[in-house]
Parts: sequence; C-alpha cells; structure tokens
Amino acid sequence: MEQIFFYIFATIAVLSAIGVISVRNPVHSAFYLMVTLLQVAAIFILLRSPFLAAVQVFIYVGAIMVLFLFAVMVLDIGKEELTEAFNQQSVIAIPAVVVMLALIAYMIIGGKLSAPVGGYTDGILIGHGTEVLGKELYTKYLFPFEVVSILLLVALVGAIVLVMKDRQG
Amino acid sequence: MNGKKGGVNIFELIKKVVFTDFVKGLMVTLGYNATKSITLKYPDQEKWIPYRRFRGLHTLNRDEKGRELCVACELCSKACPTQCITVIPMEDDTGRGISDRVARVWKVDLVRCLFCGYCEDACPTRALRLGRDYELACTDSSCNLKQREELLVPQAVPESFEGGVVASSTFIVTPAGIRIKADLAKTKRRNW
Amino acid sequence: MPDISLIATLALMVIKVLVITMILFMLPLPLTYVERKVAGHIQVRLGPWRVGPHGLLQPFADMIKLILKEDIVPDKADKFLFKLAPFMAMIPAFAVYAAIPFGDKWTIPFLDRQVSLYITDMNVGILYVLAISGLGVYGLIFGGWSSNSKYALIGGLRSSAQMISYEIAVSFSAIGVVLLSKSLSLVEIVKHQGGTILHWNFFYLPVGPVWFFIFLIGATAEINRVPFDLPEDEGTLGAGFHTEYSGMRFAFFMLSEYVAMVTVSVMSVVLFFGGWNAPFNIPFVPPILWFIGKVILFIYFFMWLRFTLPRYRYDQLMTIGWKILIPVSLVNLIITGLMKI
Ligand code: SF4
Ligand code: SF4
Repeated sequence: MEQIFFYIFATIAVLSAIGVISVRNPVHSAFYLMVTLLQVAAIFILLRSPFLAAVQVFIYVGAIMVLFLFAVMVLDIGKEELTEAFNQQSVIAIPAVVVMLALIAYMIIGGKLSAPVGGYTDGILIGHGTEVLGKELYTKYLFPFEVVSILLLVALVGAIVLVMKDRQG
Repeated sequence: MNGKKGGVNIFELIKKVVFTDFVKGLMVTLGYNATKSITLKYPDQEKWIPYRRFRGLHTLNRDEKGRELCVACELCSKACPTQCITVIPMEDDTGRGISDRVARVWKVDLVRCLFCGYCEDACPTRALRLGRDYELACTDSSCNLKQREELLVPQAVPESFEGGVVASSTFIVTPAGIRIKADLAKTKRRNW
Repeated sequence: MPDISLIATLALMVIKVLVITMILFMLPLPLTYVERKVAGHIQVRLGPWRVGPHGLLQPFADMIKLILKEDIVPDKADKFLFKLAPFMAMIPAFAVYAAIPFGDKWTIPFLDRQVSLYITDMNVGILYVLAISGLGVYGLIFGGWSSNSKYALIGGLRSSAQMISYEIAVSFSAIGVVLLSKSLSLVEIVKHQGGTILHWNFFYLPVGPVWFFIFLIGATAEINRVPFDLPEDEGTLGAGFHTEYSGMRFAFFMLSEYVAMVTVSVMSVVLFFGGWNAPFNIPFVPPILWFIGKVILFIYFFMWLRFTLPRYRYDQLMTIGWKILIPVSLVNLIITGLMKI
C-alpha cells in the first residue's frame, strides 16, 4: 500500500521536476516546481514525519514559491520565451551534471547513503515526532542550529545593506 | 504630526493600541444596523406621493362646469425655454372651453421638457399645471408626445391632496404594461 | 475477510468528508444572503427583498445566473493556468477542514458507537491548517497572471506580497497559541481551554488578547477581506485578480473566499475562544451549538468590519505588516515564553 503511494508521488515529483526545467515559460516552471515540492511533502508524510511535511508546504510552497512567483510574474514573459535558453554555460554544465549523476549513482549502488538506525521506533515517532525533533534540535544539535541561524541573519542583513546602498546611489 | 516633533504622544499611542477609532466606527455602524431601514418598498407595497409643489407630468384642467380652461393663448409655448409645447388654436362656440377660442392641438414633447414649470406660471387661466404623475418611462417612443386628450384626464393624485406622504400601493402587471396603483386613503408620514 | 470495524471506520470517514464538503459547498448561499442583508441594514437599506419572502431566494437566483453565464476565457490568456486557477484557490480552502475539530467525541444513540466530530486529529494540526490555507494564494496569483490583464496582474502581485507579509505575523500568533496550549494538535488546543471561560487562550492575560489581535489582523489580510482587500480593490483595479473571470470559474473564487472567511472564524474560535467549550455552565446545550454560535458571531464581525472600514493604502498595508505586527509579535513571544517557564 505504502509502496504504491510512494511510487505515485515519486513519479509525479520526477515528472514535474522535469517539467520545471523543460518548459520555457517561467511561470509554468514555477507551477511545476510547486507540484514537485508538494509531492515531496507527501513523501515526508509516508516517512512518518508530518511535521516536516507541514513545514515543507508552509515554508517552501507557501512562502518561498510565492516570492519566486512575485519576481517571475513581473518579467516580460513574451521576450523571455523567445531568447535562446542555451549559452556558453552548457560547456561546463553538461560535464558537471554527468559527474554529479555518476556520483549519486555510485553512492546509491554502493549503499553508502544509508545511516545506522537510531533508537527511535515507529511507536515513538507516530504522535510524538515533533517533540523528538524539537528536543534533538535544541539539545544535541544546538550548535549547528545556531550557526545556521546566524548564517541566515547575515544573509538578511546583507540583503538589506545591498538595497540601502542602491537607494543612496 | 505633533507626535513626531515632540516625542510620541502617549495618549495617541494608547488610543491606537486599544483600537479606539475602530471601536467608535464599529459602534456607529452597529447603531445603523439596528435602526429601521429608510428604503421605500416601491413599487410592491409603498409609493411616494410628492408634495403639491412637485413638477411632474403636465395636466390640463377644466372648470367646475367641465369646460376646458385653456384658451389657446400660446403663452405657455412662448414661455417654454425648450419650445416643446405646440398649441394650435381654433374657434369653437359649442361651450367646450371657457371662451370661444380653444386648442385644436395642444401637445408637449416630454423628451425635451425639463419640467421647469415656466409654462404653468405663464398660463393666465390656470389651465396648465404640472401634476404629480412621475412614472413616465416606457419601452418605446410612443409615450414621448402627450396630446391634449390625454392630459385632460384628471391625474391619480388630485390637486386637493396635500402629498408628502407614503401611500400603500399595489403593483399591477398587465399585458399593456405595468401600473402602480396608490391607495390615497392609506398613507403614512415618514420621518427622516 | 476484511475487518468489519475497519470498513465502518472508512465509511464513517467518507461520510464525514462528504458531509463537510457539502456543507462548505452550500455555505456561500446563506453567506452571500447574510452579507448583503448586513450591508443593507448597516447602510439603512433593506438588502435583497424582491426574490422570495425577504429576498430569501436571491442566492438561488444568483447561483442560477452564475451557472448559466458564459464561461469566457480571454483570447490571449494562458489557457492552462487560467482554467486551473479557480480550483487552486478552492481546493486548499476545502482541504483545511480535514484538521478542524468541530466538537469532541459523540456517541450515536442506539448504535453505541463513538463518533468524533472532526475528520482527523493530526498532531501537527495547526501547522497543517496554516500551510494549506496559505496555498490558496496560488489561485489568486496564477489567476491574476494568466488573465493577461493589467488589473488582474496587479491584483495577483498584491495578493502574493500581502500574503508573504502577513503569513509571518499569523504564524507567530500560532506559535503563541502553541506555547499557551502546549500542543500542535487542534483537538488538544481546544481541550486545553476546557473548564471555565477564563481558561480560554484569549483570557490568558496579558498576552492572550495581543495574540488574538495579531491573528485577527493577519488573517483578515490573508483572506483579502476589508480593510485589506487590495488584491480585488474594486475602486482601482476593476475586480483585481478575478477581473477576467466569469460564470462558474468566478463562482469558485467567490466560494473559496467565503470558505476562507469561515475558516478564519473557525480558527479564531478554536485557537482563542475555546472551540466547542461552553463559556458558562448551561445544561442541555450541546457543545457543537456553542461552536457554531461562536463561529457565527465571528462571521458577523467580519461582515460588520467590511461595511465599516475603508480600505488601507498599499504602503500602509505593508507598514502594518512589517513594522507593527512582526515586532509586536516578537516582543509578545518573549513575554509568553517567560510566562510559561
Ligand atoms: S415645464 Fe418648462 S420645459 Fe416643460 S413644457 Fe413647461 S416650460 Fe417647457
Ligand atoms: S395652457 Fe394656458 S398658457 Fe397654454 S395655451 Fe392654454 S391657456 Fe394659454
């Protein structure tokens, strides 16, 4: 049962991900990206972490994609569609993609991606997943958590500083 | 404005924090929500009967013996700023009018008329009055031109009726058109 | 041989989903009528009057009109997204109700079976509701963009910016409620407010009312109600994002807007006013009636607000969101945290 659902979600996710990079219209790309992110959220639910699923929908689909769209919508789509999408980047991009795919394939085949199973069983995770996550994050992983927060803060301040300069100039 | 120069006005701040203005506004609308509506239920149930000074459709009067008061002097058509009244006189000694000069044709073009009332002021015999019929709309141009015969028929609201009231009315739909019949016996004043 | 009780549970689930969906589909009929009546009476008019007694059949007349109207798709519109957008607005509005608790367990008489008056009790219910209701904005954005009309585009842009700005404040107030109730599950949040009226989150002084007003303002902005209805600002934008829509597609936008308004009313009741808990101990009033009563009061409040306040200017909207609501909620969060230690 779960397997079937997983394959449904995964297929849609991959197809729409292909859609993101293959359609010419940026708004359509954004739409496909949204579908992909929603499918990923569904897969999170299958993995017994509704918290992550909700946050995925909330942050990525609900906020970040809306920001993307805000920027994309004001583009002049008509011109965007006409311009050739391929340029010099492809010379570097194609080898890079090939190398990365090969790396991923190697990792999957070699089975290096699996981590040792922790002490949390289904019984604990269902119903208390959020609590477990929160406790871990704020005790064991407090340092990386704070580092990430500061990183985000720096990015935020940077963005504001850039805009301020722009206005003065 | 004031707050910016001399520090923050503390009273203004408190007012904002507890949404005083919002609450005031909401209370006003709540008050209106509870008051009775002023809408006239026209045409189904109520109809406004205007005051005597109202200037509606023209009406041609007769004297108490039933003779036409109009003497076809054409003063009304001369006084009319839009020249929408046409009067063609003729001689008649059958006692149709109060004198031997009566109107052969007396017509008013309502599309041009601006209901200024100059015509009724000009009339020496008080034959012409602007009455209180105001439902003049129709679906074709046939009703634009009002002839003498039509205007001689007394209007629904007699001159003696004071007006300024709401009468209860009935809405009558007939194949010939729609009609709103007001019952002048059942009236009430409105206090707005 | 499948388990009888499993089938019963599934059937019950399907029935619950169907009942709630049907209720939500029918909801705009009374709501449009009531909204127009409230508008009328606030403006000392009568509102709908001529179709049926007291105009009661007006919504049905409107519905027939909307169904019979031609479904116009502008020639230069992006057909795919244009046709999809109304559904993208509608589906999230309905999906939210999967997590909303209308009442506690209730035993069916004669059958001796317990039924819970909610579809699921998710342990991340509050996040689910916020996340899903936030998705509704895609309908507005895509609808506005795909119409290929400047008014619709500006409406869509405004709704996306507005949504981003106010989502933050609303989530902060949700965090506040979670702190007060110590759970992410909506059922638990309501249960935590049981007892007397003073247990309601709204009366958790001094932070409760502040959270409530932050939530109320933010949520009003997110569902595009006056005074924050800039995406469909009829004074300057025609009809905003749904300028180009007609017939049933327009009706779907209307539907999702009304459902969103009900969602916000329901969420205010659930998060701050004790859900189905009775404020006073009056016997024989079933909890669901308390719930419905409180929701109706909120719906009236939103209509009342709509016909009282003028619309904010766009920069004022942004100022309220970023410079007032977010700092206030940050301070309030600290106070709440300290009080809960
Ligand atoms: S009311 Fe004025 S415009 Fe009309 S017919 Fe009389 S004089 Fe002419
Ligand atoms: S209505 Fe009066 S003013 Fe006009 S022609 Fe007759 S008498 Fe003269």
